[in-house]
Amino acid sequence: MKGKKWLTALGITSVLMGSILAGCGGGDEKAASKDASGNNGEKVEVTLAGWGGNPSEQKLLQQTLDEFEKKHPNIKVKLEVISEQYMDVIKTRLIGGEGPDVFYLDAFEAPALIETGVLEPLDQYVTDDFDINDFEKPLLDAFKGKDGHIYGFPKDYSTLVLFYNKKMFKEAGVDVPKTWDELRETAKKLTKGTEVYGFGVAPELARLYYIAESKGGKVVTDNKASFADPKVVEALQPIVDMHLKDKSAAQPNEVGANWGGEMFGQGKAAMVIEGNWAIPFLQDTFPNLEFGTAEVPTINGKKATMAYTVAYVMNKDSKKKKAAWELISYLTGKEGMKTWTSKGYALPTRKSVAAELGYDKDPLRAPLVAGASYATVWQQGTNLPIIMNNFNNQFVSAFLGERPLDEALKEAEKTANKEIESK
Amino acid sequence: MKRKWRETGAGYLLMSPALFVLLLFIIGPIVFAIFLAFHKVQMLGTTTFEFVGLDNFQRIAHDTRAKIAIWNTLKYVVIVVPCQTILALVLAATLNAGLKGQKFFRIVYFLPTLTSSAVLTLIFMWMYNQNGLINHVLKVLGLPTYNWIGDPDVALNAIMIMNIWSTAPYFMVIYLAALQDIPDSLYEAAELDGANALQKFWYVTVPYLRPVTSFVVIMGLIGTFQLFDQSYIFSAGSGGPNNSTLTVVLLIYQYAFKTLGTMGYAAALAFVLALIILIATLLQRKFSKEESLY
Repeated sequence: MKGKKWLTALGITSVLMGSILAGCGGGDEKAASKDASGNNGEKVEVTLAGWGGNPSEQKLLQQTLDEFEKKHPNIKVKLEVISEQYMDVIKTRLIGGEGPDVFYLDAFEAPALIETGVLEPLDQYVTDDFDINDFEKPLLDAFKGKDGHIYGFPKDYSTLVLFYNKKMFKEAGVDVPKTWDELRETAKKLTKGTEVYGFGVAPELARLYYIAESKGGKVVTDNKASFADPKVVEALQPIVDMHLKDKSAAQPNEVGANWGGEMFGQGKAAMVIEGNWAIPFLQDTFPNLEFGTAEVPTINGKKATMAYTVAYVMNKDSKKKKAAWELISYLTGKEGMKTWTSKGYALPTRKSVAAELGYDKDPLRAPLVAGASYATVWQQGTNLPIIMNNFNNQFVSAFLGERPLDEALKEAEKTANKEIESK
Repeated sequence: MKRKWRETGAGYLLMSPALFVLLLFIIGPIVFAIFLAFHKVQMLGTTTFEFVGLDNFQRIAHDTRAKIAIWNTLKYVVIVVPCQTILALVLAATLNAGLKGQKFFRIVYFLPTLTSSAVLTLIFMWMYNQNGLINHVLKVLGLPTYNWIGDPDVALNAIMIMNIWSTAPYFMVIYLAALQDIPDSLYEAAELDGANALQKFWYVTVPYLRPVTSFVVIMGLIGTFQLFDQSYIFSAGSGGPNNSTLTVVLLIYQYAFKTLGTMGYAAALAFVLALIILIATLLQRKFSKEESLY
């Protein structure tokens, strides 16, 4: 008897509450359908989510969006900046059906997200004057699904280049290294005890991938980790040796810096390998620093570097797909991309825009642009996050001299593959 | 009979908003988490739940990182809980001894508790920096310096020190309240028997505070087992360097949000953590033999 009463009370309450909630839902739907029919003269609001850049970058994006709104008076863009844990927030919002219409997606996360089917394939919207062949092919391929559809258009990219401190090079009387062996020798000459290291290293897969594969080994095979390959170990060994034997290389936190650019700017490393993002940072934070950039030294006579790229993608559940495409096509189109990349905070993924803005002739950015043609894009199948995590964990222990590199990588590979299998 | 029914009904009706909130936000998620622990879940895109029985739990037994995380967490608990309890008791006893300016010191000691743990962690990271305050002091004293954040051997210790420092004052306040409760007559009697200050502390204060100690230890156990934000900020979410700051909750977070499709496994890990905490709490109660407080 008592139990029944309880149940009745509960039943009534849930029905009451349920109907209130349902009422709210109905309201939402109405609002949404109004938005969808916005093409008939009414204003459509498209949400665009991304992470925040530095203030000048943010201003430039706003300028690009303002120009877009001027040309498309019926579309209003609502920019949402997610400053922390970007992918967690996006994933959670997509699960809850509250995802933005258009958002940034890093190439690294793209395969896994494409596979889940939450992204809208974009090829169906592409018209001839969008000129899809104008994009650098490897950057575009990073956002192609297994089904061959394109799920995103890259908004910009950066490659890695060698940053060197001109003053330190002059004092030590050395030239900019052209090969990896030269770099090792140069680093020794530039090192001054624990005050100044010749070379600042980021001991993580995202930065070492191209070096790891330089001797013909593969980091990932068939979507599984294969970095314990002796060829990969051989390729990475010099970096560990530079830290442990030569004592000419260090990671940023060993000198109290947060990342390579900071270590370099503070004068604690004479050389670092960083991307485009370091240029405005160094110019703003360390205005007196004289630095130069050069292409990453060749390994085995071959040129290699990494490329990182980010695309605009569309939410499959978006109710304003037409307007969303208008926005994407403008931002990644020739006109919008020119505005967005005009100040050099980001490099254009379209060949025509790159040629027009002349970054291949800019003394600091020319090496970055040159790298685009031979760079390895930081993206490799759906399991890269797991592989990267295990690699980084064990590579650090080898880098710190706790265990030999081959042993560390073997264990990391085993752990990674076990994790992948039980997924 | 009818009248009684109506009365209870009215009672439940009045309680219903609270019950509903309780069901929706507390009972519901717990039940859902248990449900998830027995399923393979894909949340993004086409949501699927596939019943896999105990697979997720079996997987824990073979997961090296899960073992490291549990081991790290246990190590952390075993060191931090006794340290912070003893420190809290000692701090409280000194503040209760009738020293000059003790009100001022009470406020000063309590300040760390009022600061958000994220902010504290950032401040400590700045102090732990290779060229930071702590290494500077160590160098002046002629002691060895450490790469507190980057060296796997000391990274967890760095978090322990920080946490003991920041949570001890909270428990100190609880002890302080309990200390005011001890009747003066007990101390007077001890004095008549010729006890010195240390003996009074050991034979009067400590036994009298036993129920409070029990409470402090249990809250400490629960809090330390759930260590997350400090190690998260310390390692930028990775649990590094070399898995040394990986805790169970951090691992749960990684499986739940960082890798797609492992939500079920994350729920299973959470379930196991809840069990560990339950067992630790029961053990504590058995050993303290004091159950009068709750």
